[in-house]
Amino acid sequence: MPPPPNQIPVLKSLLSLAALSLLTATVAQAAAPKHGQKWIIGVSQCNLGEPWRVQMNEDIRKAAEAHPELQLVFKDAQNDTLRQRDQIEEFIDAEVDLLIVSPKEAAPLTPPVSAAYHSGIPVIVLDRKVLGNDFTQFIGADNRKIGKAAGAWAAQKLASLPRAKARGNALMVELTGLMTSTPAQDRLAGFHEAIQGQPVDIIFSADTQWLEPNARTEMESALAVNPQIDLVYAHNDPAAHGAFLAAKAAGREKDIVFVSIDGLPQEGQVYVRQGLLTACFEYPTGGREAVDNALKILNGGSVPRTLTLNSRFFTPENVGQGGAWLP
Amino acid sequence: MKTSPLRRLMETPSFRALLALALVVAIGCAFNAGGAFFHWNTHRDMLRQVSVYGILACGMTLVIISGGIDLSVGSVLGLCAVLFAKLTLHQGESPWIALALVLGAGTAIGLGSGALVAKFRIQPFVATLAMMVFARGLAKWISGGQKISQAIQQPDGNFTYADLPGIFRRIDARILWGNLSVVTLIFLGCVLLSWLVLTRLRYGRYLYAAGGNEEAARLSGVPLVATKLLAYGMSGLFGAIAGICQAAQEQQGDPEAGTSYELTAIAIAVIGGNNLMGGRGGIGLTLLGALTIGYLEKILSINAVGESSRLMLTGGIIVAAVLLQRRRRS
Repeated sequence: MPPPPNQIPVLKSLLSLAALSLLTATVAQAAAPKHGQKWIIGVSQCNLGEPWRVQMNEDIRKAAEAHPELQLVFKDAQNDTLRQRDQIEEFIDAEVDLLIVSPKEAAPLTPPVSAAYHSGIPVIVLDRKVLGNDFTQFIGADNRKIGKAAGAWAAQKLASLPRAKARGNALMVELTGLMTSTPAQDRLAGFHEAIQGQPVDIIFSADTQWLEPNARTEMESALAVNPQIDLVYAHNDPAAHGAFLAAKAAGREKDIVFVSIDGLPQEGQVYVRQGLLTACFEYPTGGREAVDNALKILNGGSVPRTLTLNSRFFTPENVGQGGAWLP
Repeated sequence: MKTSPLRRLMETPSFRALLALALVVAIGCAFNAGGAFFHWNTHRDMLRQVSVYGILACGMTLVIISGGIDLSVGSVLGLCAVLFAKLTLHQGESPWIALALVLGAGTAIGLGSGALVAKFRIQPFVATLAMMVFARGLAKWISGGQKISQAIQQPDGNFTYADLPGIFRRIDARILWGNLSVVTLIFLGCVLLSWLVLTRLRYGRYLYAAGGNEEAARLSGVPLVATKLLAYGMSGLFGAIAGICQAAQEQQGDPEAGTSYELTAIAIAVIGGNNLMGGRGGIGLTLLGALTIGYLEKILSINAVGESSRLMLTGGIIVAAVLLQRRRRS
């Protein structure tokens, strides 16, 4: 997507002047957030074009609702590294009380995050890391571990399928995320690690770039080329949904087990409830944990430097009870 | 100077577009993925897949012939997919009312672009770029940034589930004993409509005139403002049709749907042999272009070609196809 047109420079500087005076007013209030005052938390989100990140902001917002002493300021960098850098610097200038940042990429965003940390602003880094140690806490989940859990589940499921048993090996299709991104690489590597040595053959693999229409197209090709498919492993919920719709259109959805990662409440979990997916593995956003830890930091407590999130998995049996935690 | 009939045939744009298509189909026959290319289902799926792009390309062709370009079609698709899903899935509106409202909204957005171009004389590239950003923002605002699906979140955080309206199934169905997707039929309907407009209406001649030589057209009494306004309006209408097809196929309205589809739509029009300078071309060429792009993607997909090679091959084959149809000057 091309960048939106820039604002007129004069207008922009006038606006930022106005914003600055507003911000200094609020920050002056927040400098001593005692009774009835508010802590201001800046949230720098790298991209709101993905449902998972929209959910992360939603989780942060919801967790903060219970704490009237918190005031959140959200900024969306629209998947632009330099814009995110600017926005972090804006938060530093505004002297926010705490910064939650989910960086687009590590290297170019390390200096501004580091600058915030050194200016005395506690920083919680969410989901993707920055380089070095200039932050208060990193909160994230382990894609490789989740991929491995999905692989172990798939291998077990396939071992019990009569069709695969009779054949002697199971046939699976892999619909990956954008393979130049680390989440996709880790979800692939973890899964492959788990099925290594198992009688599972990957007969078709394609890059969906996380997009549902692509997944449907690729799945149609997989169905056209392969008369037998036992399982589809999709790197995200939309890819699994697209694959299911393709299989359904071909009348073959009942022969195939669908597994996905992400498990968003309004996507994967819903698909499991509807019986489209046989299982989905949650990749937690960490939004709630970020707010919990932010409160601890603001109240003078200490938090671990790294918080690795546990994730749940959902099957038709357990989705009603909110899923089950991965071991 | 006399030319042989064969030579004359080879000079026609449609023959050259056909040649490019034949080249791609030949590649498919050579790399048939264990015979998968020879099954009708593969072709049926290719036709389904290219239909949404093709519908956008119909509108794009009208605008290109009028001497403009419409970068907003992908965003209009996303906006209309969201609107259609919201009206039918979440608000339980009757499908006919929803269809009318969404088609109206798409047309209105198109007319907005048209007004910027024709009335306010903003360059088409700039006007529709602005509309592309605006419509995407509108789609995100209406949807709250989330996909509009059957699962509806209640204030307490739990979900209720809306039934999938019949219209979704009807659009994502197949006819002729499962041998043709309904969306392909819709695409062909759009091609037919565009063909009628371009060849059977006086308005079609106005479009060619406006794109060919604007000054001459104005002097000979062509209503330029109305002509251009309508071209973008129709492009918006086709964007809305594509959006409805997209929503039906995904069973949801995704505010990100259609991102970068405008580029594919332009590629389809150009590969078919339509001239980006305007004033020349036709909808038949766009149909051939759609088939060429559709087969190209399908062949790469059934052979499970990796992403990097896929992009490079697509670039290479597009250039080859366009070179094949270059007009030789004698």
